[in-house]
Order: sequence, then C-alpha cells, then structure tokens
Amino acid sequence: MEQLLRGEKISAVDTGMGDHADIALFSGCYHLEKPVLYFPIRHHSPACAWHLKKTIEDYSPDCILIEGPQNAQEQIPILAHKETKAPVALYYFYKDKKGLLSEEKEDYKCYYPFLDFSPELIALREAEERGIHAAFIDLPYGEILIGTEEKKGIRTEGEKQTYNDDYLLSRSRYLTLLCQKAGLRNFDELWEKYFEIGGLFRTTEEFVRQMSVYCYLSRSHTPREELEADGCLLREQYMAERIAGASEVYKKILVVTGGFHTYGIMELLKENDSPAEPAAGKRKQKAGGSAGFLRCTAKPVRLHGLSDKDQGVYSLAYSMEAADALNGYASGMQSPGFYQQVWQRLLKEGVPDGNYEAAVLHQLVSAGRQARQKKESLSSYDVICALSMAKGLAALRGKHEPGLYELRDAALSSFVKGECSPSTDLPLRLLHKLNTGKQVGKLCEDALRPPLLLDFEEQCRVFRLKIQAAGQQEVVLELFSKKKHLAMSRFLYQTEFLGTGFAKRTKGADLLNRKDRNRIRETWNYRYTGQVLSALVDVSMLGGTVAEASRTRLLRDFAKSESSQEAAGLLARGFLMGFLEEQAGMGMHIREVLAADGDFFSLTEGFSHLRMLYELQELYEVEDSLELEDLIGVCFQKIVQLLPSMAQIREEQQQACMESCLSLYQITGRSSFSHFRQILLEAFDRLLCQPEIQPGLEGTVLGLLYGYDSSYDERIQRTAAGYLQGTDDMQMKSAAFLRGLFYTARDFVFVRENFLGMIDGLLAKLSVDAFMKLLPELRQAFGYFTPLETDRIAKKAAALHGVKKEELLKGRMVSPEEYEYGETLDAYAAETL
Amino acid sequence: MEQKAQIRPPVEVRYEKELAALAALDTGKRPLNWKLSPKAVRTFILGSREPLNWNGEEIPVRKKYLGNDALVERCIITLAGNRGLMLVGEPGTAKTMLSELLSAAISGTSTNTIQGTAGTTEDMIKYSWNYALLLAKGPVREALVPSPLYVGMEQGILTRFEEITRTPAEIQDSLISVLSDKVLNVPELGEEGLLFAKAGFNVIGTANTRDKGVNEMSSALKRRFNFETVMPVRDVSLEKQIIINEVEELAKAGRIDMPVDEDVAELLASTYHELREGVSSLGHRIDRPASVMSTAEAVSVYYQTMMTAYYYGDSHMDLGCLVQNLVGAVQKENKEDLEKLRSYFQTVVRDKGGKEGQLWNSYYEARKYLR
Repeated sequence: MEQLLRGEKISAVDTGMGDHADIALFSGCYHLEKPVLYFPIRHHSPACAWHLKKTIEDYSPDCILIEGPQNAQEQIPILAHKETKAPVALYYFYKDKKGLLSEEKEDYKCYYPFLDFSPELIALREAEERGIHAAFIDLPYGEILIGTEEKKGIRTEGEKQTYNDDYLLSRSRYLTLLCQKAGLRNFDELWEKYFEIGGLFRTTEEFVRQMSVYCYLSRSHTPREELEADGCLLREQYMAERIAGASEVYKKILVVTGGFHTYGIMELLKENDSPAEPAAGKRKQKAGGSAGFLRCTAKPVRLHGLSDKDQGVYSLAYSMEAADALNGYASGMQSPGFYQQVWQRLLKEGVPDGNYEAAVLHQLVSAGRQARQKKESLSSYDVICALSMAKGLAALRGKHEPGLYELRDAALSSFVKGECSPSTDLPLRLLHKLNTGKQVGKLCEDALRPPLLLDFEEQCRVFRLKIQAAGQQEVVLELFSKKKHLAMSRFLYQTEFLGTGFAKRTKGADLLNRKDRNRIRETWNYRYTGQVLSALVDVSMLGGTVAEASRTRLLRDFAKSESSQEAAGLLARGFLMGFLEEQAGMGMHIREVLAADGDFFSLTEGFSHLRMLYELQELYEVEDSLELEDLIGVCFQKIVQLLPSMAQIREEQQQACMESCLSLYQITGRSSFSHFRQILLEAFDRLLCQPEIQPGLEGTVLGLLYGYDSSYDERIQRTAAGYLQGTDDMQMKSAAFLRGLFYTARDFVFVRENFLGMIDGLLAKLSVDAFMKLLPELRQAFGYFTPLETDRIAKKAAALHGVKKEELLKGRMVSPEEYEYGETLDAYAAETL
Repeated sequence: MEQKAQIRPPVEVRYEKELAALAALDTGKRPLNWKLSPKAVRTFILGSREPLNWNGEEIPVRKKYLGNDALVERCIITLAGNRGLMLVGEPGTAKTMLSELLSAAISGTSTNTIQGTAGTTEDMIKYSWNYALLLAKGPVREALVPSPLYVGMEQGILTRFEEITRTPAEIQDSLISVLSDKVLNVPELGEEGLLFAKAGFNVIGTANTRDKGVNEMSSALKRRFNFETVMPVRDVSLEKQIIINEVEELAKAGRIDMPVDEDVAELLASTYHELREGVSSLGHRIDRPASVMSTAEAVSVYYQTMMTAYYYGDSHMDLGCLVQNLVGAVQKENKEDLEKLRSYFQTVVRDKGGKEGQLWNSYYEARKYLR
C-alpha cells in the first residue's frame, strides 16, 4: 500500500492484494466531463477541502450532494450563511418512543461538527455562492440508529456521539503494519504525511486517485458483516437512491461523501439506458430505479415513518476545544487550531508551498511568547532551534514540510529544559492549547433555535435577567415577599438541575444540604456563556420549555431512583423547582423505595429530606399531596428497626449517625409525631444494650435519653468515668464519648456540678502522650459549647486548680531586671553572629 | 588490539560491517564531517526491514534501540544542529547505548568519552599537560594532553560526556562557553592557543535524574542542550525482546553456548514491568519497590542465572536461581523492597500460576528463596 500512496503503478500491488479488478475503475473515476462526479473525502481534512474547492471550480456542477443526515436539509442555509462563523455543529436528536432501538426507549443525540476546513462546509458554502442546489443525502438520524446494531458504529457507547465516521478509514488491520513499515507512529501521522502535506502538492486528479485507492483498500479489508453491523450498507443504499433521484433533475452532480462510502455508492449506481430528459420539477421516484441518467440497483430502503416530534436537528455554535479529537471527541480532527492556521495560509497564498512550515513557525513563536509571559526562560534562539529541528525532522522523515508531529517533536526537544516532567513541560501544554485553538463559532441571526432556548431567553427577559452582559451578574431574591422572586428562584433551580451551569446560588437557605434554613433571601450569581447555550441545546430534546425539560428529567430520574436518599432528595429538588402538582404521582414510587431500602444512612438522609419537605409545606402553605406525615412515619419505623444494629459504626460514620439520632429525637418532639417518642426511646435503650457500642454514639444516645429522663445522669457519670479510667484503649475512646454526649446534652456539665471536676481529675492522670492523642477529639467535643458556656467551663476548671479565670489567659509578669538581662543577651547574640 | 579478548568491543567494531555497508550505499545528504547521512544513521539504529546488499553479501541491519523511534530521529537532528544533546532519564533506560550508537554512526567512533564522576576536574574536560614534556619543551602543543572534548573539536567528531550530573556543577559549567562559541582557548600556547571546533563536533551528554548523588545542572548549561527524556520501556513484549537481544550479545561475548529461553525472558520482563508500573496484567495493585526496576537490571539478572546454569547446572534456566538473583537486584535501597517482592509473589505470581501454566507455577514455588 505504501508504494501505492507514493504513486507507483497500481498493478504492482494487485498481485499481493488479491484480485482487485475494480480498483483501476474506481481510482480512475475522476472525469470532469461525466454527469456525475464522486469526490471522496475525510471529514475535517484541509487537503480534501482544498482539492474539493478546486473541483467545484473546474467541474461547475449544478447540484452538490453531501453525506449528512437528510433531516438537516433546512439547516443548510444557516450553515452556508455569510454571517455564520465556524466552528458550528449540527445537533441531532432522536427519541425512541416506539422502542425501535431498545426496550428502554432511550433518547439519542449526536453532533456533526464543521470547521472552516471541513470539506462538507466548503461544499455548502460554494453551493450557496454559486446559487446551486445542495442537499444532504444520508438517512435521517433516527433511521441510521435503527439500521445500526447495538454498540456498533454510531451507537458505540461513549461520552459524546458524533455522526462522523472517519474511524472507518483508520481501523484496517493492515494499518499497523503499514505505519511500522513507513516508520510512522500511527494512522494520523500517516494520513498527515501522505494526504494532508503530500496531497497539497499533487494535482486534484492525482489526489482523488490516491484517496480512492486508499479508501478502496481499507474498505476491501473490512468484512461485509462489519459493514452491515455499522449500518454502512443501508446508508449507502439510501444515498445511492438519492443520487439516482437527483439525476432526474440535474445534469451535473457532484457527490461528496466520506471516502469509505464512495465505492459502496458507486457500485450501486448504474447508468440508465433510456434516461428521460431532466425535468424542471422533481419527479416522483420509481421504486428500484429512476428516470434519470443513473439508476440504483439496490432495493429501496424502507423507512420507519418516524414522527417529526421524535427527531430533530438544530445548528449550534461550536468550539475548537469541543472539536479537538484529543479532547475525547474520538473521530474528529486532532489539533484543529493548527490546521486552521494551515488553512488560512492556504487560502491566502493560493499555492501549496510553505503553508505548513509557516504554520509550524507561527505556533512555535506563539507558544514561546506565551511561555515568556509565564516567566519561562524561552528565548528566540530556542524558537530558531525548534524550527530547524522541525525542518530537519521533516527532511529525515521524507515529508515535504514539517507538520503537526514535527511541531510537537520540535517543541519537546527544544523547549523543555531538563527532564520532561510536569514542572518543565509548560511550553508543551501551551502549545497543545494553541494547537487546539480557542475559536468559538457563531450562528447567523435567522438560525432556527430549539424551542427550549427560545423559552429560556423569554424567561430571562420576563425576569429581567441580564443575559446580554458579558460579566457575572448577581440577583437577590426575596422569596416570601415577592411572588415573582419565588418564580424566578424556581426557574434558576430548574436551570441548575438541567446542568446548564447558568446560575449558582451563593447565599440563602440550602435546603438540600439542610444549611442556613432560616434565611429568607437567596442570592444567585449567573452568567450566560457559550457553554450554557450548548448545554441548553443538549437538553432541548427533553422538552420545549425549561420547566418541561426539568420536569421530564426529574420524573425520569425519580423513576430510576433506588435509595430513599436519592428519591427523597429528588422530591426536595422538585419542590425547589416548583413541581408541586407532580408530587401526587410520585408517592407510590417513594413508598416502594422506602420499603425496599435497608441502608440506615440512606433512610436517615431520606428521612431528613422528607421532614424538611413537611416543614416547608407548612411554611409555604402548600397542600400536602404526598401524605408526607404517613411517609415520614413509614421511614421512621424502618429507621427505628435498624437502629439497634448500628452499634458498631465506623469512625467516619459517627457524625452522620449522631445527627440522625438527634434529628429523630427532635421530630418526635412535634405534636404530630409525639406518638413515636416512646418507640424511639425503646430503640435507644436496645441500642445501649449492644455490647461494644461505638462510644460517640453511646454518648449521643445517653445525652438524648438524659434530656427525656434526668435519672440517666448516674449512668452517664458512670460510663464517662469508666472510659476515662479504663485501660489504655478505652481511655482513647473517652473523647469520642464526650463528643457524643456534648452534642446532645451539653447542659449536663452545668447541671451536674461534680462532672467537670471528675473529667478534670481524670484528665490530669493521663500521660502527656495520651492527652495529646485525645486532644483533637476533645476540642471537637468542647466545640459544641457556645463561647459564653466555654467561658463558664474555663472558669470552673480554673477554680479547680485554684486559679482565677482572668489569670488563665495571662502569663507571669516579667520583672524589669529579667527584661534587661534578656535584652543584653539578645544584643550579645546579634553581635556574636 | 585483539578484538576477541575484549569483554565488550565498542559499537563501531561490533557493527563494523553494517556501518561500512551503510556508508557505501548511502545516497543521502551528509552534514559536514559526518560519516553517514541522517537517514543512514536512522537506519543503523532503528534497523532496516530488508538486508543491505553490499560486496555480494546480504547484511541485515537489526533494530538496535527498541523504544521510541521519534526520539531517535530528534536526537539525530539535534546533533546536526547547533546544540548539544542531553539524554536524561532513569537508570537503565539505554541512554548510554543510544549515545554510543549515535557517535559510532555519526563520527565512526564511540570511544571519545569523558566519564563524569564527583572527582572530575576542569582539566579532564579541557586539556592537561605531560609534565615531562612541558618541562623539557615548554608549553607547546606536543606537551598538551588533549581531553576527549579537545579531540572532538580538533577532529570534528562527537564527544560523549557520560553521567554529566555526577560532576560538580561548576565543573559542568566549563562546557558552557565551548558549546556556545565552539572555541577553546589554551592561553599557555599563546597566539596558537585558540582551538576552533571543526564541523561535525558536538556533545552528547547522558544524565541520571533519579539517582542519589547527582548535581543539578545550571540553567545556562541547560540552554545549550536539547533534552531528550528517555522513558523506561512500557511494553512487555518489547522489554522481553530487549532482554533476549542483550543476553544473546552477552552470551556471545562470554562464549556461553546456550540458547535464550524466551519464556523465562518473558516471565522476567513481566515481573519487572509489573513491579515498575504498580499494576499486574491481571489487574492486581502492587506496591512498587523503591529501587529502580530497569530493563538493564533484568538483563543482568537473566545473564547471571544463565551463567550459573551454564557452568554449574545442566544449561537449563533454573527459576530458583533466577529468584535468588532477583532478590539481589531488588533489595538494594532498603529491606522493605524484599517484602514488596514477596507480596508480589504471594498475590500476582500465585494467581498467574493458576492461569498461565507450569512456568509460573514453578516460579511461585521458587518463592522460598525470597529471603
């Protein structure tokens, strides 16, 4: 294959590759006088774009057909619009409501990005300029999904799905061997060397011939089953049909498809023996053929009649960062920022020479300059050395000009001083960013926007949120006095729930984490950025308005939730977002979840959420459609059941468990739950009976019991003394016990006069080492007291040692003689040194 | 010099034929005073798929440096330029071998070398005097004892500076002006005391960054070098290949007539690889030993075991002996490393015994030597 790419005779490789009689036919298909011209491309390839531009000029077609889901046809004027600036992307979504793909009836989405040097965008722009017809001819997105096997092709599982199928060109099993033989690292380097850099120096005919040969060979090494599983064959059939259809209307058709598909499509199309004269209007296509100069030999593709509601396409502004293959967008172009530089030069100069070298120099100089701004010692001489390294490497590797790989190598060699490590590779990181580029696209004014986006903007207008402003904005909401503010808060919570990153609450009651609940105002910071816009488009398939999308997601997440914590948390979120009516429908599921949940912490978390909801509903005077009291009762029962088994919790669970116990106790103080009090106390008693109970928990529970029944004081005293006088290990646990006790019953210290004395006496007996070990937790234990109380304790403790409180903070007075002696010493030391 | 008696003949002697064939068939452009063109140097180090046909003979060119090809290319281009080449990295990553290969291919000799130690002085780097001649004839060129750096400049060949970071920083700095001005001043020789470097001169340094007792390089010196960080081999099969190649060479030199056992080499390569990376091929997490687990160490462990088998045993690799040598190689820094090795055996080797068959089982049985 290597010889092929170098332009040697095709027949020379035929012997080694089996019988490829078609190859010559296919590779020689570039005839400008033919009524249909197939142009194979790789997405985001500047060289393909360059030659395609030339082809359009030379061929002057009256119609350009482009590989791309057909349902994006309406987006063409937007993409080709003069005001639209790349990078832009088509965003496709499909909702599998009928369950054609899987039983889960999931939603699907994917992106189809365009850069300035994407051949498809060039084709669209050229067609627009020439006023000729341009059309996308691939299956609609939903149909592609249906035609693809699970986890294959476009349905491969991954973070971000893309329509782009360049992976087809790079997965041939011979490629590793080819790269090894050519001494190149990977497919991308191979591609850059022979097609991007080398391709510019060839005539368009020669370039297309080489592309064709390469694509043909990659295709012929892909088994048919794989093609089928990936949905390739079906798509090609459909595209061939569309081309045959177009041949009824147009006389000169340029077909721009991914190189991998070109051969597949050509094979399906045969010249029609008796074509009818092209008519002005489009005729209805006959099944299995056409009246144009081409007919499709395959059976027509049967579509599934997907509703327009279930699938759609939007254009959106995209960023270089998102388009960079190195940022996890698997089949994009690597380092689009670098190729953008090349492309701009190519357009400006109009000749192939020197563009790559100039782009390499530009990137090196920019990286050097940025590194200097960050106080790296990179001189111009370093840049000179780097450039000569890049050129030298290009010569050694037999490349016309240095490319991306030489650029990276040069920077690694000349810019990194010392061993390459995170402390020395800043210049490389800067270069990486430059190579990615930071350009952000822009859509023209009349671009269709998803209804969700329109709703978002409308809401912002109604609420007078300044989304035009560049900087961060702040808004303070008075939830209880102004209805509009409450609505606004709900809207902001919705945008937060949708993960748009638009707004963030900086002050105010944090109901989800149960902090600052007494605040009546909320402060929000918000900022409208490109990312917010993308995120909004990303969720636009969930509904037409922000509220609807949030509701859809909430109900879906809720239905999937399996723990009480999660389910009740979502209920609370729903409340914040103002979805009160929906609650009625959620009662059933949460009951099921509660019944199935056996995790103490999840239940207590859920319990807290439910309790908070209950309190809030009273506060907001909302009708209780969930029968919260009942739910809380169910939850409570379960927790009480589990409580005695919680005796031996781990240290890190102590705080959560202490909080749960206190919260349970508090709620039984309310009249509506008072009947649970006795049950809880019994559970506490059972817990205390457990051998080896965790000391912190023991203290907490004893404190609570003491609050209810002061006869527990003896027991507390005994237990505390037991810990403090116990064996070494037990002594170490005394601080945890005190911490638990003070958390729930700190008044004990003041009520039982001798308690403090006892603690003091016992602490005094500890060795210094043991005391130091206890200290951190002791601090925590005494941290529950208010400053005034701490003061009182200190006073008492001081009195035990015959010292007054005031003297505690003061040191011994220094006599004038001592001071003088000190000064002399100081002076002596200074002099000697 | 009688070649055969040498323990390790220099690269240019070992690969004499290859170098001659490459030079004869070389059509590429050569930088001034280079023996080979950059392309031929690349072929010499990275090998050629087809053997060279020269003088009616087929001469295979084997890949001598396994690892990062792009790094080798960068090294070659650096040496053709204005800056020195500094190879840095962990011990045992074949930095020295690479620098020898480069010098042999470019200048035809790999022996023009300064060996850096804590005791290296400036006159070892620049020049010193033959005092008898100095007293007899005064400061004349004849009485001057040139250093490898001097020789490199005078003849237009590469000078290798091994372990440059072991020399004190102020001694290292004596290179600075030579590298930037390419001129060495010998004031004792008066007007004739200026030695201008001939084309083809450059310096290849190698430096350890992880070892104890290395000195930091000054920024001024760093600026005069292009740095290449040589990473340990990250691929087990490549590491295995390196062990096999190196041991074959050593065995040939030591006249040990015993074939290399590929399975044992693979076993050793995986042990080293896994201990270095901290994760086994089965996914176990492993405590990494503090000592450097370099491929060079693996080679020497294998070779020692091989010699034991050859001289004392039945010419079969004995895993018990291998484990004993492994202990010697791992337990250098501290005693905990032995514990780590032991737990490696008790988890990874045990489990692999179950999965990968007999060899690993016997390896596991040999754990009794871990002490």
